[in-house]
Amino acid sequence: MKNAMVMIQMKGITKTYHIGDMAVAVLKGVDLEVAPGEMVAIIGESGGGKSTLMNIIGFLDTPSSGSYWFEDQDASHLTDNQLAVIRNQKIGFVFQQFNLLPRLTALDNVCLPLVYRGVPHPQRREIAKQLLEQVGMGQRMTHHPPELSGGQQQRVAIARALAGKPALILADEPTGALDSQVSQEIMDLFKGLNSEQKITTILVTHDPNVGRQCQRTVRMADGRLSEV
Amino acid sequence: MMPFAELVREALRSQATAKQRTILALIGIVIGIGSVIALVTVGQMVQLTSLQQFEQMGTNIITIQKGWSDKGGQKSQARQNITYGDALDLAHQVPELQLIAPYTTTWGQPIFHEEPLDMPLLGVSPAFADINKLELTRGRFISALDGYSFLGVLGAGAADQLAKKGVNDPMGQTIFFKKQGIKIIGVLKRVEDGGMRPYEINPGIIIPIHTSFLFGTQRNVNEIMARLAPGAKRPQVFAAIQRFFNQRQPGMLIQIRSAEQLIAEMAKQSRLFTLLLGAIGSISLLVGGIGVMNVMLVAVTERRKEIGIRRALGAQKMDIEVQFLVESVTLCLVGGLIGMSLGVGTAYVLAQMNQWVFFVSGVALALGIGVSSAIGVFFGYFPARQAARLNPILALRDE
Repeated sequence: MKNAMVMIQMKGITKTYHIGDMAVAVLKGVDLEVAPGEMVAIIGESGGGKSTLMNIIGFLDTPSSGSYWFEDQDASHLTDNQLAVIRNQKIGFVFQQFNLLPRLTALDNVCLPLVYRGVPHPQRREIAKQLLEQVGMGQRMTHHPPELSGGQQQRVAIARALAGKPALILADEPTGALDSQVSQEIMDLFKGLNSEQKITTILVTHDPNVGRQCQRTVRMADGRLSEV
Repeated sequence: MMPFAELVREALRSQATAKQRTILALIGIVIGIGSVIALVTVGQMVQLTSLQQFEQMGTNIITIQKGWSDKGGQKSQARQNITYGDALDLAHQVPELQLIAPYTTTWGQPIFHEEPLDMPLLGVSPAFADINKLELTRGRFISALDGYSFLGVLGAGAADQLAKKGVNDPMGQTIFFKKQGIKIIGVLKRVEDGGMRPYEINPGIIIPIHTSFLFGTQRNVNEIMARLAPGAKRPQVFAAIQRFFNQRQPGMLIQIRSAEQLIAEMAKQSRLFTLLLGAIGSISLLVGGIGVMNVMLVAVTERRKEIGIRRALGAQKMDIEVQFLVESVTLCLVGGLIGMSLGVGTAYVLAQMNQWVFFVSGVALALGIGVSSAIGVFFGYFPARQAARLNPILALRDE
């Protein structure tokens, strides 16, 4: 199963939810390979299983069956705590609604993943400062999220995703709540990170314009994945 | 695992945002801890104060009184009172009684300038001043040479009574009792009430014991106060006293009380008091704890999204559980600290009002901190576990 050139290797992934006596199959056998440094868009209509697949890729959920290898590690049968550690060390999440903690400053929000990794206070502030400057938010480090525009909040969220030096950035509709001009700025930021720092990026979107800007696009429909 | 300092910072930060609800929940804790601390402290202060009073007089003081028959109502033919003669003989028969001071109390209405006074008369011998550690502000005390003379020493309260009538210097004044004029020859300093001292000292007029016999029909004494010789063994001395009275009057009941015995009784009483009032405090703490649990449950529901975000960023279940536990403990500790200062303040005011010795024991402070933390853990555990068990995917989707 080992392949040094593959970061994500999924074979026959299924996910079935049981609601009462009813079994709802959301993923019906997904195969996916992502190489390090790739930038992949997962497109598809809502209800097609995009979010479920993203949750499994991002270790928020485990598949019902199938095999999932992440960086040469079998990731299909992990305990809740092991999943939390992998999320913390390997994955940088970016969400549609930014999901910053409103009570914390931009700086403290960026620090958060490092808090759970046990990085000491002065060091994580140093890292967070650098990242906020990198995403163009160096002037607003002490602002709270409600004081920032949507685009600014998403920049802070991207800095937070980068804080743990993740292997993979997983973005769920990252431009869904932004107008088209700001969307383009955020996309440029993702593209820059991918091309300059070779950060593997997977974007889930229903916006064809976003899909078009990625090297590779896959479509999720009715629980199955196909290359576009 | 999240570092501890970060947890506390986070806990304070989230409490500050929910101010009103937090304050409401805290009231129960504040009142509960406040009353527990006040009560424990008051109990300890009362105990210390009375112990100090005993120590002023010495713990080797005993009092001997006639006992009360358990055959209630039935009076036996034999005389049942202790007489002055008994007291004098007792001193010879039981040499371990180093100093002996029988005294009488006479109630009636002394008259001063044709107005009645409310003062008891205490008939004493000179040893009374020594045993009760009495000090004079003016004049002299009763002496052995005073015999049957009509002389009196005023207690501090009695002197105040005269001062209210405009007599600032009672020395040489005459108070009439049963048409006999008693000339005031001294004034006592105020003594602390309680302990072994007869409570009539402050409000009373102290006269020679023989003079007091002139006002009554018999030579009975109210009580014999005595000081034990150093090293005297109490059980043996008490047995000797019993024997003495049994020889005098077969079947006579007497009651001997020692300072030690009173101290033990008082300690027992104040323990009971502390326990009882502590129980009342515990009830407010229970109510406060339930309030804290409610606040925490609401906080968990309101912050589902935050929990989801933290879990996505790598927080383990334990991290979330500890975060909410620290929050509830911090909440209770804040309430506890406010309650403790309130309790100590109350105790201080009570001490000032009652002239107790003010002190706060480390035990009381440790109790306050310990109990508030324990309440935080106990009532925070269930909400914290609920927070930890949230499904991160569902929590993230929360609006």
